[in-house]
Amino acid sequence: MKRFTLKWPLVISSSVLALLIFVVPLYGAAVYSFKGNGGKGHSWTNYQWLIHQDGFYPSLLTSLKLAVLAALLTLALMVPTMVYLNLKGQKYKSLVDFLCILPLIIPVVSLAIGAQVAMPKILQNSEYELVFFFVIIALPYTYRALDTSLQTIALKTLVEASRSLGASWTSTIILVIVPAIRSGITGALFLTFALSIGEYTITSLLHWETFPTWTVVAAQQNILGAIAISVFSFVGAIALLSVIALLPKRSAQRVEVDE
Amino acid sequence: MSKNNRDSCTLELKAMSRHFGPVKALDGLNLTVQPGELVALLGPSGCGKTTALRIVAGLEVATSGELLLNGDRYNETPANHRDMGMVFQSYSLFPNLTVSENIDYGLRARKVDSDKRQKRVTEMLELVALESKAKSFPHQLSGGQQQRVALARALAIQPRVLLLDEPLSALDAQVRGQIREEIRRIQLDLGITTLFVTHDQEEAMAISDRVGVMSHGRLEQIDKPIVLYNSPATSFVATFVGLANRIPAEITAKGKARVLNQKVNILDSAESFEEGSQVNVIIRPESLELVSESDDEATRGIVALKSFLGPMTKVGIAVEGAPLIHLNISSREVRKLEIGDRIAFKISSDEVMAERV
Repeated sequence: MKRFTLKWPLVISSSVLALLIFVVPLYGAAVYSFKGNGGKGHSWTNYQWLIHQDGFYPSLLTSLKLAVLAALLTLALMVPTMVYLNLKGQKYKSLVDFLCILPLIIPVVSLAIGAQVAMPKILQNSEYELVFFFVIIALPYTYRALDTSLQTIALKTLVEASRSLGASWTSTIILVIVPAIRSGITGALFLTFALSIGEYTITSLLHWETFPTWTVVAAQQNILGAIAISVFSFVGAIALLSVIALLPKRSAQRVEVDE
Repeated sequence: MSKNNRDSCTLELKAMSRHFGPVKALDGLNLTVQPGELVALLGPSGCGKTTALRIVAGLEVATSGELLLNGDRYNETPANHRDMGMVFQSYSLFPNLTVSENIDYGLRARKVDSDKRQKRVTEMLELVALESKAKSFPHQLSGGQQQRVALARALAIQPRVLLLDEPLSALDAQVRGQIREEIRRIQLDLGITTLFVTHDQEEAMAISDRVGVMSHGRLEQIDKPIVLYNSPATSFVATFVGLANRIPAEITAKGKARVLNQKVNILDSAESFEEGSQVNVIIRPESLELVSESDDEATRGIVALKSFLGPMTKVGIAVEGAPLIHLNISSREVRKLEIGDRIAFKISSDEVMAERV
């Protein structure tokens, strides 16, 4: 007979608790964002206020542009690097592992000031320098997402099969490896995008204006408007990421095998 | 059926070595595969057979030695420019591509015209009888079907040499037999030079023109399967290929030994044995026969084991002063025997191989 354990009640109760912690503040914020003037009634006033504020669209577009660039740069740098590490650079893996954790250990102020000094002049005077910072702060997460994904496939034999069929390294990565680690790439893309679009500290320290820095300034004028901004940011990010996640996957459903 | 349009070529490995630190995975391997020939490299794990194949494919770099195709040196040619088709043990089909796209992959990499590619893919699907699975994904196929796709994919590029890296190991026994015959049929049909690596002697013997037995990074012997079985050059080959009994014996004169109750002739070998020295003679189970207990040369023992193998049964006989001795007896005859019965047997072959103890 199966012994009764505390496993399931514990799982269910902790899931409910986590859901409450996550949902209740969001629900509260959503309700408040629809409060009318003077906190009475429900209306779209706060959202109308938001979209009519100076700097809303430019800062939002800047953030989106930088986040997209950071996500693409992350993939361009990390996918070949991770493939190399998993194929031929096993002995360097612990070193890279350590290096990729550094953005979590180094204080953001040191990272921002230190890395900016090391940037080429042409980038120091451009908002595009933020792309490189976003790539760095996303590194600990993208590294793990891609590494885990690569370890679940028969990387070595897939690469060898592709090479023996005459494909170059570039074709092998684009046509064979990228589709095989799609989930890891999507994860890395999500994380970089989400971290980039919400990044405040470095942007503020380097005196650039993106959506988060604009939000802080705008929120000081209208508290309900500030809540509307938060809800807008959250829903917007979730919607964008959902679109990427729901892009059609190129594989058939599993069916019964007949010999 | 489409032939491989490429002329078959000669594959040569000259004094090929591959060292991993102090370990010599390959130690001066010399091997020539003639055009259109299927040569199997057979040996236990770690003997260097897969290393040799990977060096030929360009997936491993040799420490020293030469790889020649029709006399041209290929050591420095990258894997993607060698024009070799390789079939892997684990199929290695691309999971995101359909069967057709997998077969087409190498042709796309070579930038072959779309019409020619389509025609070639259709030919290959016919060759492996998988036309109905053209649009299936690898995970929708059985192991045998996946390996046939892998074979079609390797052949689609009309390779100069076909390399088979234990392609049947992951399949169950029945499918293994079918695919084995299919590989041989296709290889003969296309007349393609083929190097086949396996640790399964039955597989190697069944489909190869010649079998090379490897040990410690070297070829112990390479010859036709029947020659390997009947005239092994070394005791390692004798015991690795087929089942063999190692029975203690004493050298009684030059080229003669006493084993059990019987005098036998020793096959010529590079090694000479002094009179009175102790050796082991190597005797195949089918070279032992049951005889009447009254036979003067008969050895008597007790039936200790019976393993039914279909038409034949392997019988283990416990004899005093010798390890368990195996005989192959027809299953009809063995029905009368029970474990614990006393029986008599003798060596039926004229000459046996000996090795120093």
